[in-house]
Amino acid sequence: MKPTMSPQGQAAQTISRNMKLISHNELAGFGGIGEGINMQVTKDGRRILWLAHESAPKNFTAVDVSDVKNPKVICQTDLPHERVRSNSLDVVGDIMVVAYQTKAVGDKPAGMDIFDISTPEKPKLISHFDASGPNSRGAHCVWFVDGEYVHLTSGSGDFEPTHPNDFQFYRIIDVRNPSKPVEAGRWHYPGTHKGDKDAPPPRHPKFDGGYRPHNILVYPERPDRAYVAYLDGGALILDISDKANPKMITNWRYSPPYNGFCHTVMPLMSRDMLLVTDECTKDDGLDWPKLGWVVNASAEKNLVPMSTLPLPPLESFVKRGGRYGAHNIHENLPGPASFRSDNLIVGTFFNGGVRAFDISNAYQPQEVAYYVPGAPKLSPKGSIQINDVWVDENRLIYTVDRFAGGLYILEMDI
Amino acid sequence: MLDALSGKFPVSVITGFLGSGKTTLINKLLKRPDMNRVAVIVNEFGEQAIDNDLVEVSSEQMMLLNNGCLCCVLRGDLQETLRDLFVKRRNGDIIDFTRVVIETTGLADPAPVMQTLMTDDMLLANYRLDCVVTLADAVNGIEQLDTMQEPVKQAALADRIVITKSDIAGEETTAKLEARLRALNPQAPIKRALNGEIELEFLINVGLRNVKGKLEDIERWMGEPDEHGEHHRHDEKVKSFSLRFTEPMTWNSFSQTMEVLSTLRGSDMLRVKGLINVTDHKGPMVIQGVQHLFHPPVELNEWPSDDHSTRIVFITRNIPRETVANLFAAIGAVTETA
Repeated sequence: MKPTMSPQGQAAQTISRNMKLISHNELAGFGGIGEGINMQVTKDGRRILWLAHESAPKNFTAVDVSDVKNPKVICQTDLPHERVRSNSLDVVGDIMVVAYQTKAVGDKPAGMDIFDISTPEKPKLISHFDASGPNSRGAHCVWFVDGEYVHLTSGSGDFEPTHPNDFQFYRIIDVRNPSKPVEAGRWHYPGTHKGDKDAPPPRHPKFDGGYRPHNILVYPERPDRAYVAYLDGGALILDISDKANPKMITNWRYSPPYNGFCHTVMPLMSRDMLLVTDECTKDDGLDWPKLGWVVNASAEKNLVPMSTLPLPPLESFVKRGGRYGAHNIHENLPGPASFRSDNLIVGTFFNGGVRAFDISNAYQPQEVAYYVPGAPKLSPKGSIQINDVWVDENRLIYTVDRFAGGLYILEMDI
Repeated sequence: MLDALSGKFPVSVITGFLGSGKTTLINKLLKRPDMNRVAVIVNEFGEQAIDNDLVEVSSEQMMLLNNGCLCCVLRGDLQETLRDLFVKRRNGDIIDFTRVVIETTGLADPAPVMQTLMTDDMLLANYRLDCVVTLADAVNGIEQLDTMQEPVKQAALADRIVITKSDIAGEETTAKLEARLRALNPQAPIKRALNGEIELEFLINVGLRNVKGKLEDIERWMGEPDEHGEHHRHDEKVKSFSLRFTEPMTWNSFSQTMEVLSTLRGSDMLRVKGLINVTDHKGPMVIQGVQHLFHPPVELNEWPSDDHSTRIVFITRNIPRETVANLFAAIGAVTETA
């Protein structure tokens, strides 16, 4: 052993800068969380963090974080079988929507559930929105911030993709009557549906991640815009002023030369910019680099990258096991318990942990804080795989491991 | 939006006269359990530098000690060593240190070490000077001050002074040295240490750690209050004085005055620390300089007390107080409080 460490030694060690662990909860032994985190403030003033699990057997978990030093699991639910995962959820007031994606087309439940969570210990199912079908695996992501519409990444019974990897598209679901959700509009990438007049888009030559939306973001400040990450299709802005008939305004395609899987397109509303992230989907650095991009969106039809979020070099993390690269960011959601900033970005990087960046100089983002937990017990990758993050209005960070580590609550010192 | 100070790694510089016991002091510090997660940069792993039973693992350049402290040898220049430590830490190659301690050589002028932290963008963004500690040997200290330039400068630049070997020198000699040092640098608290034993608290958390502007933090950083305004001493060349202005000044007034001073007399402006009341700013502007160079100013969130006057402490060589005061009046158009 040298004073510098082996990759396994590195993976075992917690490293941090300007972030301090307040508490850690392994979520009753089911510490694998997907990419759905949202915080509910209940009518009696409790703060409940809702987490969608990465995979079966668990569906979602509610953690009472009113006392952040002592988080308590108050509800944990099961999926009906091992062939479905929830992965994504959102909360507005006392209503929660949860996505369901199946492993194979044609399976069920595929789509979305709507719950009444006014008593968080006992979520009550209000309705199920069925998106199953012979070519559908259901829904991967939900975006629900206005209490009226869910922006859903989903397949449907009537959608026939031109390529098997393109099985999901953008669906706008009207949930103003939560017991009867109905589709209000839809959009798919030109050429991905059989019968389209456009030719199917070109496949990525190295990693065919597909043409499907990942996160679809719509904010109350701009109800006429949807910011859509479309995997290998890159970043898109859609005009959704007519929900029944969304139109593409712009599409920034950067893969190839990059390795696809555009994951999030977040507008920085006060700055006419976007923060775009890729998702690293391969272990051991195979699809490196997977980046966070700062993009000039002041000319909406001509998106131009300005910089990327600086990360430690690949060789420092690549041998620790699992994935290393960009994934989710805190998405500046509206709501009473959400941090909002166009200058401080908090993102997750799998075995690179959770990292915060000051992008006030958009040409030179600075990393200002990070926390990389040591490998959790029973981690199948031998390293932490930080998957998603929520930042509350007090700048406390709630971040989760993809497989085993559960929830880490952190405080920033910046 | 972000706190300009709180996220940076504090750096303590330990300097001292030849034979003043820096190695002994550092050795004692390295044994303390509360010195874990500290990266110590030393000049060499000398024979008596570090007890073998402390060392957990080592290479030619680095040692990990069993209290979790990392000790590394200065390679090339300090700038490179500090950059390298930061990068290795971020990559997770070494321990997650939270503080850096630098040992300088006995003949070193501490000014360039301090300036390194102010001039390199990468270091400026990630480190902050916490404290300069100067060790003075009670046996030889007075003679060293009389005959050499370096000890005078080391004492003048210090935030904290530690007198060593007072048991050998005896009370009378030690008291003389202490008086001499106090006159040379009245702001720096002085303590005596035997065999390198000194409370860690005396040596750390001197620099401002955040922009909250708490009174006790500012008092600790500015040093001991200076009631007389100007100190004359045995060595007439080095002077310490402070200026106070009640009225706010524009940033231009301040910076132009300082620019003229540092252009003409930079090498003789040994150290400057201050809180500036700048027109139209809510909190005071914290300034600090070492000879020609100034750290970028940092605005505190608020004033630490009702006293909103500008206070600047100068330690200079051959620059009288009135010269500086006159410059502020002539260039900055601000005059001192009557």
